[in-house]
Amino acid sequence: MTRPARFLVRVGAMASKEVMHIRRDPRTLYMALAMPVVMLLIFGFGVSFDMDHIPLVALDGDHSVASRALVRAVSAGHEFTVAADSDEATALRMIRRGQALAALAIPAGYQRELAAGRDGEVQLIVDGADGVVANQILSKIDGLVRAESLRRIDLAAEPPLQVKVFTLFNPEARSALFMVPGLAVYLLAIAAVLLTALTVSGEWERGSMEQLFASPVGRLEIVLGKLLPYLGLGMLQLLLVVAVGAVIFDVPIRGSASLLFLAGFLFLVGMLGQGLFISVVARSQLVATQAGALSSLLPSLLLSGMLVPIENMPRILQVLSSVIPARYFVHAMRGIMLKGSGLPILWTDLVALTIFALAILVLATARFRRRLA
Amino acid sequence: MIVKPRWSVQLRAIMRKEVSQTVRDRRIMFMLIVAPLLQTVVFGFAVDFQFDHVPTLVVDHDASPQSRKHIRRLLADGTLRDAGHATELGEVQRKLQTGDAAAALVLPAGMARTLLAQRPAEVQVILDGGDPNRAVVVAGAASRYFGETAEAMVKERLAAHGIVPPPLIRATPRIWFNPSLKTPPYMIPGVMTILLVITTTLVTAMGLAREREMGTLEQVLVTPIRPLFLLVGKMTPFLVIGCFDVLLVLTAGVWIFGVPLHGSLLLVATGTVFYVLSTLGIGLLISTVSRTQQQAFLAGFLFAMPAILLSGVMTPIRAMPLWLQVVTFFNPVRYYIEVLRAVLLKGAGLVDIWWRLLALLGFGLALLTIASLRFRKRVA
Amino acid sequence: MSKLSIEAVHLSRRFGSFLAVDDVSFSVARGEIFGYLGANGAGKSTTIRMLCGLLAPTAGQARVAGFDVKSEPESVKASIGYMSQKFSLYLDLPVRANIEFFGGAYGLSGPDFAARADEVLRLCDLAQERNAITGSLPGGIRQRLALGCAILHRPAVLFLDEPTAGVDPVSRRHFWRFIRRLAREGTTIFVTTHYLDEAEYCGRIGLMVDGRLVALDTPAALKKRYVPDQVLAVRGRNLAEAAASLRGRPGITAVEPFGAGLHLQVVAEDWNADSVAHALTSAGAQAVEVESGEPTLEDVFLAVVARPREARAL
Repeated sequence: MTRPARFLVRVGAMASKEVMHIRRDPRTLYMALAMPVVMLLIFGFGVSFDMDHIPLVALDGDHSVASRALVRAVSAGHEFTVAADSDEATALRMIRRGQALAALAIPAGYQRELAAGRDGEVQLIVDGADGVVANQILSKIDGLVRAESLRRIDLAAEPPLQVKVFTLFNPEARSALFMVPGLAVYLLAIAAVLLTALTVSGEWERGSMEQLFASPVGRLEIVLGKLLPYLGLGMLQLLLVVAVGAVIFDVPIRGSASLLFLAGFLFLVGMLGQGLFISVVARSQLVATQAGALSSLLPSLLLSGMLVPIENMPRILQVLSSVIPARYFVHAMRGIMLKGSGLPILWTDLVALTIFALAILVLATARFRRRLA
Repeated sequence: MIVKPRWSVQLRAIMRKEVSQTVRDRRIMFMLIVAPLLQTVVFGFAVDFQFDHVPTLVVDHDASPQSRKHIRRLLADGTLRDAGHATELGEVQRKLQTGDAAAALVLPAGMARTLLAQRPAEVQVILDGGDPNRAVVVAGAASRYFGETAEAMVKERLAAHGIVPPPLIRATPRIWFNPSLKTPPYMIPGVMTILLVITTTLVTAMGLAREREMGTLEQVLVTPIRPLFLLVGKMTPFLVIGCFDVLLVLTAGVWIFGVPLHGSLLLVATGTVFYVLSTLGIGLLISTVSRTQQQAFLAGFLFAMPAILLSGVMTPIRAMPLWLQVVTFFNPVRYYIEVLRAVLLKGAGLVDIWWRLLALLGFGLALLTIASLRFRKRVA
Repeated sequence: MSKLSIEAVHLSRRFGSFLAVDDVSFSVARGEIFGYLGANGAGKSTTIRMLCGLLAPTAGQARVAGFDVKSEPESVKASIGYMSQKFSLYLDLPVRANIEFFGGAYGLSGPDFAARADEVLRLCDLAQERNAITGSLPGGIRQRLALGCAILHRPAVLFLDEPTAGVDPVSRRHFWRFIRRLAREGTTIFVTTHYLDEAEYCGRIGLMVDGRLVALDTPAALKKRYVPDQVLAVRGRNLAEAAASLRGRPGITAVEPFGAGLHLQVVAEDWNADSVAHALTSAGAQAVEVESGEPTLEDVFLAVVARPREARAL
């Protein structure tokens, strides 16, 4: 048999052994297939920034028709509900305890001021502890107060200068469209790293590595043989996750599906390789899993642009983010699914993913010392 | 002669052994102490939910001194950043698609003249809806600016006609607890919470399974040591390390990021101990039902992930559907992050958070009890 | 105090549908060295686990050191020492840390324990290695440590599950010398082993086959009962085919490979060394040398395990 043919045969043998291991252990299968889907369902619903019925404390110091009208205007819709009508001390206590997130303070004399033709001054108090929420609350209340202000003087007729807002790609501003592709990437990343981190380190601990070394199987063959079955599982995962996103969360795929799967393939190779690398370096499962969890959980969450935009980060971290494959895949996923972006825009992402995948495979193979030192 | 073994001797022996083993493993120590600190610092810098310098394209069809003034004023406060000028919509579409710009401001031709002639004009704002948070901020900034400009115009015109302009309602924001709305005070406690769960739960979950796999568990079970002590012993090093981690991270947070310490540190310490008890309890429970380290790790992980994402650390609990909000009542992570943020940022006292502390303690004790009952059953 | 250190009465253990230990009964006196032999999977380790309080019997009872294993497992554990088949101490800790931990587990502490720890280290010849990391020590030394940790609290009964597996012959000799000294001092020893030469040291031996105790007696009595015929040891070349020709002939009880040669059991009246040598040579063997030999426990083992179960009943 020729060298390449022997190579392929050995890789095939390693891969089918790995497949047998997987089939023996249904837990791995569950983790690979069911977990990402279940998690996507839970997080797709649970991880969102869209708040409703935000509890508000009304600090009505005026108790007049006008002030009550203002409070009603703010609480009439679904955005806010009045949790209490009281004083500032109560508001402080409630906000401290998380029972309310904001307060509308209307000073005494509010109606009188308005009647006298002077502007009515009210205060919007917001819990600043959570910046995102605070911003959201502020703009919501601000909008409602402004609307009430305009309603009072009936300026609904022809404002001189109007702003018309067009939102591309996500007209209803649903959190889901933003979160689901990011979540999908996140879940795939974690599953991939952990699956492989466990396998090789487990073999070290059980001692079956020694057996492998006694055979003529080479390092690259071991690495590839271990990678292939999980790659197959990973692509299945990707398919499932995209399907769930489309069916349950109405996340469209406006661009090319094959481009999506190509990017996914490259991403998976990189993440599986990362897991393998960790397990090659860390001979114990305990160390491997900790390293795997730490290196995939937080970086993929915080540096990939999944939750927080990359432009917001300081330059150093933007640079750091450029070595995280999740960043490129999130960008590609969002691009393809929401914006219908194609190859001309996304080729840089694909190249980056390829480079990472190759680099990590080389690293893993090199570190895999055949001597049992 | 049979000496009825004193429980204090047994307990001390196993605690010493566990601590000794953990401390000897340099890589675990690195991951449990150095890594969290590193990650906190990195992510403290990384995560900034404040949107500013959003790259905005300017499509100024009017190109008049007034339109330029508007643009300059709008960009003045830094929320939006000038990402260049475009001349037609196709270019806008393209740049929004590639992500080179996140918004575009379109001022129609002849806008200045239209306004001068007291006819209504319309400004367009085109947003990349891919990130709704960012979109909301941009839309808000534009609406606010042009809204105020419109009000000013109306006042002018009415005044010119000698009509007294009608009063408006002015709303002034007052931000409590974190006036500049900086992100680190919000995020650092969050990162701390996440790291604690990962390190304590996962490591303890794997502990017993590891001894089972290595064969040492049998030798210990043959001694008269009570099974409960085994569990307590497994907990000990990580209780200490967990609290130490919090101390380290908090110090770094205060020093480097200016995380405030408005409330009592004693409350923070108590909350931390109770929280770590809960996370360790979960780890131990998992370890008593797992046969291999792999199983233990997967189970621990499958708990940790939802616990983190559904805890209010990253996204508000109020934004979750009702059924999920109910589920979070059983999530110790939720209580801890609430305690941290309430005490550190809002200066909350015991009277404000006591039931959360109680919940954490309750969880910890309940989990420990269940774990030791299950373990005893298994062993017999 | 009862003279009996270990009593097993109709002990059984079932795992699902598999009966690992089937109605086993025996007793061991104080200070006796009791050997437990059997093929892999015969149920030896399961029996030991039940006697140590690690596994509850599904039927029957057992008393160890005067305590019932089912209702007083903690007291049993406090009175016994155990050395498992696979090395089960902490490889990442130094030798003295293992000693300190297991001493503490048995409730030993203070200056008395410190003195005892030193004594045990000396007895097991580990004083030099007290600070060495256990995992860095070779197998033989590790076994000494395992034994040391098992005797810290001066147990009444010592359970040893294949304690010398994989250990070199010199170390094995030292080990057994130590065991016999412990027995002389009053410790009851319950040991399983595959090294049948070591089993000769035992006072009595029990043989397990498929979960049942099929033989129990002193080595001499076992040999007399199960290897009643004359034993001949044969050396030579091309013995395999020649041996086949001898099997089944009247007066030839058994023909078994033994080392590089054969062990034959023959009825003394019908055959002797010369006639056997002659028969083998004419069947094609060469350079045949036949000597009369003593029955060994290996012969006993083969006789007991090889013959069908129904013919056995104690």
